[in-house]
Parts: sequence; structure tokens; C-alpha cells
Amino acid sequence: MSKIAQLWRTTTVRLTAIFILLFVIFSILLLTFLAYQSSIQIQQQQTHAIDREVEALRNIDSRQGVRGIVFALARLASQPGPGLYYLGDNSGLQIVGNIDNIPQNVLESEGVFSFDYNGPGFDEQDVNAEGREGYAVVRSLVLDSGLRLVVGRDVIERRGFTAIVFQGFFYAVIGILVFSVLAGVITSRRVLKRIDAINATSAKIMSGNLSERIPVTKANDEFDTLATSLNAMLDRIEGLMQGLKEVTDNVAHDLKTPLTRLRTKAEAALRESAGGETQRQALETTISESDKLIKTFNALLMIARAEAGAPSGAFADVDVSAVAADVAELYEPVAEEQGLAFETAIAPDVRLRANRELIGQAIVNLIENALKYFEPAEGRAGTIRIAVRSAGGRVLIEVADNGPGIPAEDRARVVERFVRLEKSRTEPGSGLGLSLVNAVARLHKGEFRIEDNAPGVRAVIDLPA
Amino acid sequence: MKILLIEDDREAASYLMQALDEAGHVTHHASDGETGYAMASSMDYDVLIVDRMLPRRDGLSIVESLRAEGSKTPVLILSALGEVDDRVTGLRAGGDDYLAKPYAFTELLARVEVLARRSSPSEAATAYEVGDLKLDRLSRKVEREGETILLQPREFRLLEYLMKNAGKVVTRTMLLENVWDYHFDPQTNVIDVHMSRLRSKIDKGHANPLLHTIRGAGYMIRE
Repeated sequence: MSKIAQLWRTTTVRLTAIFILLFVIFSILLLTFLAYQSSIQIQQQQTHAIDREVEALRNIDSRQGVRGIVFALARLASQPGPGLYYLGDNSGLQIVGNIDNIPQNVLESEGVFSFDYNGPGFDEQDVNAEGREGYAVVRSLVLDSGLRLVVGRDVIERRGFTAIVFQGFFYAVIGILVFSVLAGVITSRRVLKRIDAINATSAKIMSGNLSERIPVTKANDEFDTLATSLNAMLDRIEGLMQGLKEVTDNVAHDLKTPLTRLRTKAEAALRESAGGETQRQALETTISESDKLIKTFNALLMIARAEAGAPSGAFADVDVSAVAADVAELYEPVAEEQGLAFETAIAPDVRLRANRELIGQAIVNLIENALKYFEPAEGRAGTIRIAVRSAGGRVLIEVADNGPGIPAEDRARVVERFVRLEKSRTEPGSGLGLSLVNAVARLHKGEFRIEDNAPGVRAVIDLPA
Repeated sequence: MKILLIEDDREAASYLMQALDEAGHVTHHASDGETGYAMASSMDYDVLIVDRMLPRRDGLSIVESLRAEGSKTPVLILSALGEVDDRVTGLRAGGDDYLAKPYAFTELLARVEVLARRSSPSEAATAYEVGDLKLDRLSRKVEREGETILLQPREFRLLEYLMKNAGKVVTRTMLLENVWDYHFDPQTNVIDVHMSRLRSKIDKGHANPLLHTIRGAGYMIRE
């Protein structure tokens, strides 16, 4: 019962019910119209036939006289079929015919009449059907010879026909009703099944199984579109959750390790009974370690904020060229100090709706990364090149070097948070730099990728303008 | 200097008060927003250090009320919220500087000392002088012992900021914020490289250096 109640609450079922109602009303109207039309058609045909016969008999009467008409009528009346014939004199006495008890008014005036009659029937095989109900449509007239002629058809059949039409009609409506209800139920069940599938999946996901996905059929209908977009959303959520898990793991790793180191150093310093310079040194290391921790922590927070897409309030019209030029100016001396050439190819006035601080930080991170991991290749002067350009509705910010480069298979991994290439795993730095760049690129609906600069590495922030 | 610290973390507050005391400042402490506001509006302080999240009254609303009353006392806002937007809201509310937790005490001290200077009239000065080094803000000329020193625009701004705060420690972060308008911590020694360039232009060939590196804190320009 509750299943039916549930079914009734669904939109499909209600729509189907309305549809059925309209369909039935329309069918009744259509069928009525058809029945009415065909009955009129039949009637017209019959009247027409009667009129032709009357015309022929009139001719016989005027050409061959009473004798001719009597013979003709006697012949017609004796034939089987629905034809009704009567010929009488003006006193109302029947001369010949196959129909009795014609109402008096028919015999007294001219025109088309219809009436019930008790006749011997028109069917020869059915002569015994005495007193059988008949329904006649007749034309009554007075011939030139003064005789009264009544020609007609028994239309009791037609009544039957109408009855049959209406009966058929009734069954048709019932059939339509049953069919539409069935169709409605089936489609609603189908729809409900799809929705149930979505509900079941959401329930599973809510209970913690994030890898669950809504089944997509091959029908490629609107439910599949919905399922696909919901699945895409779930992918994103799962990705975020996965990211969160990684962050937690990495926070544990990248924060706990230095924290432990910090603690050990503090303990060691405490054990130094001598005091003085060693203790002082130990404390200074402790402070610089904790500063590093704070930096790591800030970087993590910044990434989290950027990935959550939160600081959109800080979006403004940003002159990316100016930001890049500023950062380049800030870092040029650092590069020169390291013996690297520093080139810029910044197209003027490249603008973007962006978070200035984050874009700046991303460029800084790329440059710092380039500076930190640069190893000059043999026989080449080391160069770091910063480029900003806009092309085809994209804004490209590039930081390239001509160092040893990153193997193709490692490039995607470099972007991942905390993942550093094995070789540089032991080098200082939080390893969060590129992750933040990636998060910033995603926050601006763009992407971050690492390309081959042949030779060297080209880090590209590709943003939609 | 007379400082009011409005901070609800008692341990952090007592450490800060002790450290500020050692640095030669008199510090009063309020541990909730209402008390802090009452103290700030009834007494005269050189600098207010206001935590953003306080019991009974929000730090930003204290600053807003004080500003609405016409108080010009410099305010340093402390907050665990360190994002750019948070900084912007903090400064918009009337704060003069914003420091995200956790911070180094040297950073806080440097900022407080620089802030307190603001209430002194030298803010409007058109020229700065430290020993035999002169900087003219209008003609944008720098000379030492009568010899003109040519500086890049950014170097000029760097020197200008240092000289404006002559005798005070300025941290690397403060330089980055005020000279480059960036609010992040660079991993590498960018500021040091710029400072060493500036130093080579200012101090090279002179017997007494003016630019000093303060270990574990930052830089200072003084005679």
C-alpha cells in the first residue's frame, strides 16, 4: 500500500494520470465524432438509394401504368434484403408490398418518415420471426396514377451497428485506460528505479564509501546526464578528500619530523650543564627550526585556502605583467648572486581577474624552485627566464631554466603536494611550493604544468583570461 | 613606551609583557575585549596590541570604536587568521599593522617600535638624515659626505623606509611588506641580497658603516 502511496507521490505518476485523463477525454470526443459521422454517412447513402428507387418506380408508373408498377413492386417486395415496399390505393388499402401496419400519418402525407413496425421481416430465412421488431426509414408519396407508394429500408441493422460502434467504443476507452495506466506505472517505475539507484548510491556515500558511483546506462538520457555530472562532482569530492588525507599524512610527516627535531635539540641543550655559548647556539637553532615550521604551516594553510577556493573576495583586476615584473626585480639579484643569468620576456599590460597576492606568491615559488634546484648543465651558462604573455584567451606565466630538466614521467608527480623527486628528497625546503602554484592555478580555473624546455624545465601557469 | 596589550591567552600575554619589559617598555594587559576597550579609551598609550579574537568583545570592533572616537593611537592587530583578506579587513577596521600568529617576538617588537614612531611628527618630513647620509624625498637624491649616490627606484624606497625608521630594527618581512607590498615569507634570502647591494652603495669606502644587520631580527640604519 505504501508502495502505491509512494508511487502516487511521484511526479511521473501524477503527470501520467493527467495525461491519461486528457487522453481518454480526447479519445471519447474523437470516437463520438467518428461514429456520428459514419452514421450520418450511412443514412445519407440509404436515403439516396431510396430516392433512386422511387425515381425508377415513378418512371415505371408513368410509362407502364398501374399494371407495370404493381408488377415491379411485387417483384421488388419478394426479393430478400432490407428493402421495404408498399403500394396501396388512395383509400389506404394495400395492393402489394412486404410491410404492414404502416402508421396512418405516413399513408396520408408525403415525405421521409421513420417508424417502428412489426413486420414479417425482410429475411426469407427468417419468415418465422413473426412480430419481429423493425425500424423503417421510408419515403412516402402519391404516384401520377394516384396510387400511394412507400419505399424504404429496414434500418434495424443500423441500430445494431450503432450499438456495436458504441460497444467497441466502450472497450476502446477501457483499453486505452488500462494501457495508459500500465504505461504510466511502467515509466514511473523506471524513473523511480533510476532515482532509487541515485538514492541508494548517495546513502552508501553518506555512510562513508566515497568511491561509490551512480550507475550510468547506455540510454544516454537525462538521468545519465544527471548521473554523469553527479559522478563528476563525486570525483571532485573524492579528490578533495584524498587531498585532505594526503595533507593530514604530510602534515604529520612534514610537521612532526621538525617538531621532534626541535624537541630533541631543546632537550640536548637542557642537558648541557656548561651553559653559555653551546646553549645559546642550541636555542638559536631551535628558533630557526620553529620559524621553518611556521613557514611550512603557513604554506599549508595557504594551499588549503586556495584549494578550497575561498579567497575569491580578494579577486580584483590584476596587472599580471606588473606583478611578474615586480617579482622578477625582487629576484634578479638573487639569481645573479648564484651566477645565473636572469631574463624576462614580459608582455606589457596582461590583465586578469585574480588574487594578486596568490599570483605573486605562485611566481615567487616557481622562481625559488628554479633557483633552488638549478644545476648548471655542462658548457652552458645557467639562465632563468620569466615570461608572461596572453595567447588565444589564455594568460601564460612561465618560468623556465636551462638546467638538467625533469624526466617526463616525473613531471606530473612534481606538482603533487610534498612529493619531491627522490634525488632532492633530502634537500632543504618544505616542498610545498609547487603544490601551492598548482592550487593557485586551479583557484583561477587554470592549470599548472611542467614542460620540457629542451634543455631544462619550463613551469607554466596557464590561466583563462 | 607605554603599551596596552589586549590578549586573552594569559601565558602568551605574560611572556609578551616580560619581553616588552626587557625591551624597556611599560605594558598593561587586558584579557578580554570589554576591559581592553575601557582601558584603551580611558588611558593614553603609545601603541595598542590587540588580539583579533577576544572574549566579550571582538578585537576589530574595539579598533573601530576607538577610531570612531577619534583616537589616533597606533594599533597592531594580532591574529591567527593570516590570509590576505583577513589582513585587509584588519587594516580597514583601523589597524595600522597586522601580524599573524605564530610570530617571532623580534618581529612583534620591531613592528611595535616602528608603529609608535608614527605618532611622532617625522612622518611628514621631506628629508631624512642619518649621520653623514642624507636622503631628500622630494628631489629623490641621496648623498653621503656630499657625494651623490645613484640608486635604483626600489633601492631608494628601501633606503627611505630604513631611514624613516632610523635607529629601529626593521625585519625582512616588514621590508617585503612596505617596500615591495608583498605579504609572504620568501624561502630564500631575497631581502639579504637587496640589502647587500644597498650596503655596497651606501657604506663602501666609508669608515663607519651605517647599515647594520641585527642578528636574528633584521636590519637597522644608525650612526
